Amino acid sequence: MSRPGPSSDEHAPRAVAAAAAPGALSAEVFAALFRECGADVHGYAISLLGDRSAAEDVTALAFERLYRSRSRLDHRRGTPRAWLFAIARNAALDELRRRRRQPRYELEDELAADRDCLEALEHVERRATVRAALAALPLREREVVLLKFHGQLSNSELARALGISESNAGTRLHRALTRLREGCLQAERQEEIA
Amino acid sequence: MKVIPFPGGGSSSPDDVWLAELEAALTGDGEGAIADSWRELRHDVRALAPPMDPEFERQLGERIAEREARSTPKQPHRRVGWLRSPGRPAAAIAAGLTALAVAIAIADSSPSGPPREAVPAPAVSNAGRAGPEPPRTEMGVARAAKNATAEGSASASAGAASNAPAPGGPAAAPGRVQQLAASITLAATPSAVQETADRVSRLAVSDGGFVQSSHVQVQQPGASEANLDLSLPSAKLSGALASLGQLAPVRAESQSLQDITNTYDAARQRLSDVTAERQALLRALSRATSEGQIDSLRERISQNRGAIAQARSALQTVSQHASTAEVEVTVTGDAHTASEGLTLHRGLHDAVRVLVVTLVILLIAAAILVPLALLLAALATARRMWLRYQRERALDTR
Repeated sequence: MSRPGPSSDEHAPRAVAAAAAPGALSAEVFAALFRECGADVHGYAISLLGDRSAAEDVTALAFERLYRSRSRLDHRRGTPRAWLFAIARNAALDELRRRRRQPRYELEDELAADRDCLEALEHVERRATVRAALAALPLREREVVLLKFHGQLSNSELARALGISESNAGTRLHRALTRLREGCLQAERQEEIA
Repeated sequence: MKVIPFPGGGSSSPDDVWLAELEAALTGDGEGAIADSWRELRHDVRALAPPMDPEFERQLGERIAEREARSTPKQPHRRVGWLRSPGRPAAAIAAGLTALAVAIAIADSSPSGPPREAVPAPAVSNAGRAGPEPPRTEMGVARAAKNATAEGSASASAGAASNAPAPGGPAAAPGRVQQLAASITLAATPSAVQETADRVSRLAVSDGGFVQSSHVQVQQPGASEANLDLSLPSAKLSGALASLGQLAPVRAESQSLQDITNTYDAARQRLSDVTAERQALLRALSRATSEGQIDSLRERISQNRGAIAQARSALQTVSQHASTAEVEVTVTGDAHTASEGLTLHRGLHDAVRVLVVTLVILLIAAAILVPLALLLAALATARRMWLRYQRERALDTR
């Protein structure tokens, strides 16, 4: 699956964070942050909310709030990326609380399209397994996994975004990934039996 | 079906090594199958999310670009632009409080010199006189002078004097005979006490008065002091006090008024009685026929002459009391007094006072603002905690 946008480089997500000057977030850095993190925020939101329109609202709202609060950016409390994802998390939870809607995934169409490609069949099957395991996770644990992988946050940044201690965030992340692993293994066994 | 190898070894409790391996794998620093599996899992999770709608991405990018264009530095208004700066309100509030403190301090402090003592009430109130009185204050003294003149009293020389009080001094009642007195304390440097005392004496003479007594004590070093008792025309009392105040800073000043109308009336009645007795004795003498009567009447007339002189003297004394004012002048000189007139000392005094008033205002403001700020902070904290609780609750209910 091809991912548009600038966040395809999963190993170098901190360029903007490193380039951001201490203190206020300049307009240029803000625009670069959007180019770098926009797709990640959207991916996090749509994975958590399961609704494209809601994810777009959350993405736009996150950048809007970040822009409004850019003068209060404190680099001692994390990078702009971490700050952005903390804002996005709050916006997504507000959206969840307001809409009272069970999140759902809109991945069926994309997966169905990928199945046409035989070369990608193995990847498609694996992602289907991951998707099933991820969907089976409790929302609280799923959120941690999504924040970790979409936001590409360090454990300390993850802890700040969640509003908990770093050790607690590590515990929660470990538990979530363990359940995700178990869910994947269970799904694979069921497929093998089938 | 490829089995996805997951790291962790099934341990149920996270440890630093596990987290460090995860971090290293996700940042690309880790090598090996375990790190590859983490990265693969991350890639799969990220790939689950459908891409951003191109139209939405374009619109959002345009909005951000528009914000970027709008956020180009603008030149704020030269006069009121600083008001929009988030860091300036505190400085503006502090400047306002300081200006308020200075204004209060200036308004509260006296313009020059020390505060004056309260003027005591007249020692003798208006009593014992009934019926309409002449409307002007000078009438009482003028009447005394007129009566004294008509009766050949020496008080005629002081009859033109008026006992009009100085501005701010005791008020004289119309038609009353009153005696004025005042005391004033001047502050001078120790070396200037003698000079100031001499100038006070010259001032008394120039105003038509005289120095009743004078005592000057000069100590080097130490506190010097001069005490002078002046007798001034009552009409010139106010002017004399003003002139004395120009010689040196006034530390204290007081004025008093004593009503001597009854004493004056009694002395005048006494003179009238003895004068009438003299007239009667003279008429009797003119009608006397015998030698014995003539001798007796002459003896009584001689005695009456002495009574008349005594009555005139008493009336003159009372008239003098009404026409003259006694002024006690004290000239003090010490180091503190000497330094009080310096501009630097006054400046320091005013500066300290401004600081004190500023601190008082800040204290009052803090007494109001601190509880208010604490309350608002508590409300904001409670709101944030409630909002956070609601958000976390949204995760639990899914």
